[in-house]
Amino acid sequence: MRITWRRAELAMLLPLLLLVPLGFVLTHVAEAGKLEPGPLGLALGYLAIMAGAHLVLTLSGHRGDQLLLPVVATIGGVGLVMLNRLPQDLAGTSAFGLQLGMAATQLLWFGVGVVAMLAVAVGFRDDGLLRHYKYTWAALGAALLLATFVFGKEVFGARLWIDLGPVQFQPGEFIKIVLVVFIAGYLAENRALLTGASARIGPISIPPLPYLLPMLAIFVMVMLMVVVLKDLGTALLFFGIFLTMLFVATGRRSYVLIGLILFVAGSFVAYQLFGHVRARVDVWLNPFADPSGAGYQTVHALYAFGRGGLFGEGLGQGLLPSVGGSFPAVQTDFIFAATAEELGLVGAFGLLALALLLVFRGLRIAMLAHDDFSAMLAVGLTTSLGLQTLIIVAGNAKLIPLTGVTFPFVSYGGSSLLASFLVIGLLLSISHRAARVAEPGAP
Amino acid sequence: MLRILLLVLQLAFLGLLYLILFGFARSLLRDLRGAERMERASRTGIGRLAVIESPDGEPPVGRDIALGAINSIGRNVNNTIYVEDDFVSANHAMLTFRGRSWFIEDQGSTNGTYVNGHRVERPVALSYGDELTIGRVRMRLER
Amino acid sequence: MIATNVRRLALYLLLSFALVSAGLAYWQVVDAQALASRPDNPQLVAARRSAPRGSIFDARGKLLASTEVVNGVAQRTYADSAFSHVIGYASLRFGTTALERAWDDLLAGRADPNPLRDIVSDILDRPPAPKDLILTVDQRLQDFAAQRLGNRVGAVVALDPRTGAILAMTSTPTFDASALTGDSAASARAMERITAAKDDPLVDRTRQGRYPPGSTMKVFTAAAALDAGAITPSTTFKGQPRQETEGFVVEGFRITEHDLSPVQPALWQLSEALQVSSNIYFAHVGLELGADAFLDYAHRFGFCVGRRIGPPDHALTVDASYVTDAADGDCSQFSDRVEVASAAFGQAQVIATPVQMALIAATIANDGTMPDPYVVADARTHAADPAAGPSDEVLQRYASGGGTRVVSSQTAAQVRKVMVDAVEGQLGRLYAGQGDVSLYGVGDVQTAGKTGTAQRGAGQAPHSWFIGFAPAEPGGAPKIAVAVIVEGGGSGAGLAAPIGGQVMAEWLRLEGK
Repeated sequence: MRITWRRAELAMLLPLLLLVPLGFVLTHVAEAGKLEPGPLGLALGYLAIMAGAHLVLTLSGHRGDQLLLPVVATIGGVGLVMLNRLPQDLAGTSAFGLQLGMAATQLLWFGVGVVAMLAVAVGFRDDGLLRHYKYTWAALGAALLLATFVFGKEVFGARLWIDLGPVQFQPGEFIKIVLVVFIAGYLAENRALLTGASARIGPISIPPLPYLLPMLAIFVMVMLMVVVLKDLGTALLFFGIFLTMLFVATGRRSYVLIGLILFVAGSFVAYQLFGHVRARVDVWLNPFADPSGAGYQTVHALYAFGRGGLFGEGLGQGLLPSVGGSFPAVQTDFIFAATAEELGLVGAFGLLALALLLVFRGLRIAMLAHDDFSAMLAVGLTTSLGLQTLIIVAGNAKLIPLTGVTFPFVSYGGSSLLASFLVIGLLLSISHRAARVAEPGAP
Repeated sequence: MLRILLLVLQLAFLGLLYLILFGFARSLLRDLRGAERMERASRTGIGRLAVIESPDGEPPVGRDIALGAINSIGRNVNNTIYVEDDFVSANHAMLTFRGRSWFIEDQGSTNGTYVNGHRVERPVALSYGDELTIGRVRMRLER
Repeated sequence: MIATNVRRLALYLLLSFALVSAGLAYWQVVDAQALASRPDNPQLVAARRSAPRGSIFDARGKLLASTEVVNGVAQRTYADSAFSHVIGYASLRFGTTALERAWDDLLAGRADPNPLRDIVSDILDRPPAPKDLILTVDQRLQDFAAQRLGNRVGAVVALDPRTGAILAMTSTPTFDASALTGDSAASARAMERITAAKDDPLVDRTRQGRYPPGSTMKVFTAAAALDAGAITPSTTFKGQPRQETEGFVVEGFRITEHDLSPVQPALWQLSEALQVSSNIYFAHVGLELGADAFLDYAHRFGFCVGRRIGPPDHALTVDASYVTDAADGDCSQFSDRVEVASAAFGQAQVIATPVQMALIAATIANDGTMPDPYVVADARTHAADPAAGPSDEVLQRYASGGGTRVVSSQTAAQVRKVMVDAVEGQLGRLYAGQGDVSLYGVGDVQTAGKTGTAQRGAGQAPHSWFIGFAPAEPGGAPKIAVAVIVEGGGSGAGLAAPIGGQVMAEWLRLEGK
């Protein structure tokens, strides 16, 4: 067997050998107050996981996109450095007789996520499983959603978690993927038959029924999520993903416009009717009205941004994590604010640029995909990561109301990490198939 | 002293991060140019049929058949796409590219032409990724 | 076609990321300074936790507030709870109040009184150098006033009418400011205890207490009417003796007199009317003055707007006092003549802070010019060992701006005379006899004053008021003016007047008269 080296991937992974340990050392020096390397086990473990992923992709002759893994590894590396910098007792696990701190637990999930990614990227040679069983997937998603409605546990005012004895997971993260698969299948199947036909009311063209019905169905689902699960962030994310995929499938801005009008109208009604929505929006409009109560998190996130300035307070030297003893959700919802404080505007821009690169890579995979379903799938998956990043960052920076979605690959959390790696795995598998098709004489 | 040291380390961290970013940006730009070339190349070919299933081995599974604007499919060797299968009629179907879309039209075959499992009654537009079934041969339309 | 749409999508996402980045740039660069200076920003809190802070001394260099840094943690202590309101507290948990807030930039060393030095320090990136403050308040007088108030609820304001220097400014009940300075749970518990205690110990009644001034308001009415030429000291009102018993009907509303016994009503001039504190006489004076002139003089005397003590950029704020309904935050018009007549003897909608009433007394004492009050005498370089007293290096002196002329010198002299009569005249002794400061050790100087008994709702004891100044000999320059209130203390002569007299006497004694 002739091995095709993934040279670009390797070249872009190499600088991480320096970056991640440097972040760990910097944190340790800031905390200990003297120049010594400190423990580097987690950093090395992280590098080993990424190196392993590279090796498996190379040995399996994978022809997929070579920049996805390095971009993800860089984002995740910065994330792990930040999580390692936070108090380690914020979260953790005591599974398998081991007592693991927060960063160690996250590293464990990185391992699980990468294995899942590789399984999908290498093992998923035929997408028929996704394409032909889209209604089965939709049913699965609906079942998960229903389970959340019924068994969901409220944390921080939103019902996001399902408790399965020893394991807790956030079904929303996985419903997201299933939703994308279903929409991609539905739109790819109906696209050619339907483009063109549309009724018009004045200047606005109304989507034909086969678009309108799922749009309404998803809209109803999203609104139910807002009302029953109180999960504004995931609702916004789902609707955004759907509208984006609809736009890509049809090229009609007016459909997106109609969707947005629906969403704004729905939000307005929700604002009028539901206290938890109103509270979120009011805090967003004026967090300084109650800086030690409802506006506490938003206000202190803004302070953290302000302290960060251009070049940051320095890794390990930010104040946000210790505000009020221990700042709530600093390892999840506010990890970006904490990062921006310690790495400054420069670092924050870097992190955003990496996320944008990931989006561009994903969209490029969509453009090169060999069939419409794969293209739609790649668009949906990429959008899910991109929009999620935008929603949480904009929420941190008070550009939109704060919602509790995670920063992919940065926020602490197993469900989020596993789902994000599954997305990368799918993208890799799509680009692998495209590359195979593109090359003449391929088996 | 420690403050200066921390500052230096911090700037080194940020600098390294931006070096990595720069590397990514360069690859991205290179790929963008490559993608343009590839797209220009792919525009000359309007599509292909990938053979997924073919019990009698003609065409063989895994072959990509480059398509012209008009393609006839059938058991007759004069067809653009020759299919050897007992369930395929001599002149079975027409696969044509009109405007911006592919269309398939059954030519009155005995066993019919199927798109994604649905039997084709009149000319039907296809999208990339759709599956054609002609006799026992399954093929997928790809870009 | 999908490829085209994907390319458009890429553009939209790029724009969204750019928009979010612009938002970040706003918070991290453009608005960073504004965010950094908000008092609950942990940056400031963290800096304060370890930062030294200037000390505060009384007029004679007695240490009142100081900060000791132990193991990198700054511990601020306050020596005297009689100063808890005027100095306030600098707490890691609860922020700053009163002088600690008004002078925070100097005390914390973020600013220098000299702007040039400020710029130089900025360029050289020098560590903040805290400054010390010397107050005009004399701890001996402050403690004396607090001790006279004892466990009653009230306030004493005393100032030098010639300069505006505050000599004493104390409010009861008070609290232990030292207990609030940390950010530990103990501080939180202390704060809970203090806020749960009755009579709101945290409120500085000298500046934030707004009370109906009762008859002390007649000093204002007399000064305004004399100055406007509406009355002379010998003005009489024909119907007044009969109205003392029958009531004075204004627009169908009957104004009645308080209990005048043991004095029999007679045709009184200004002096007698003030001595017996006749509401009917002053109702006539108010109507004679008229609503417009009344409001005009109210503004001149500093009613209707919030007041500041000290230089504008370091001011202690005093709540506004009002003569009419304060609903719209400014003195509106009187609703009718009844309100004018009632306001003239301190009822209706009139409310005033003790600081405001002390300044009215000081204006009369200071020949008709209202002094600008101030409480910080100077800022000095930080004394390394505060217990040994303040440093000698004065960075900046603060003094009164010279005051504002409110009424003519002649008017002031006429009001001074009737105020002396009010405590020392034949009739005045019957009413304010116990407030006669001559009883308390300074018999050889004259005292001017006026008591007030501010009626409240049914079943509540009235507030006891006194304003006055001494020495009050014609042509002399009084050295102290006071305002005293005891909440629910009954008649002015009963509680407030003796405290006012004692405080003035004590000051004259301390000053060697």
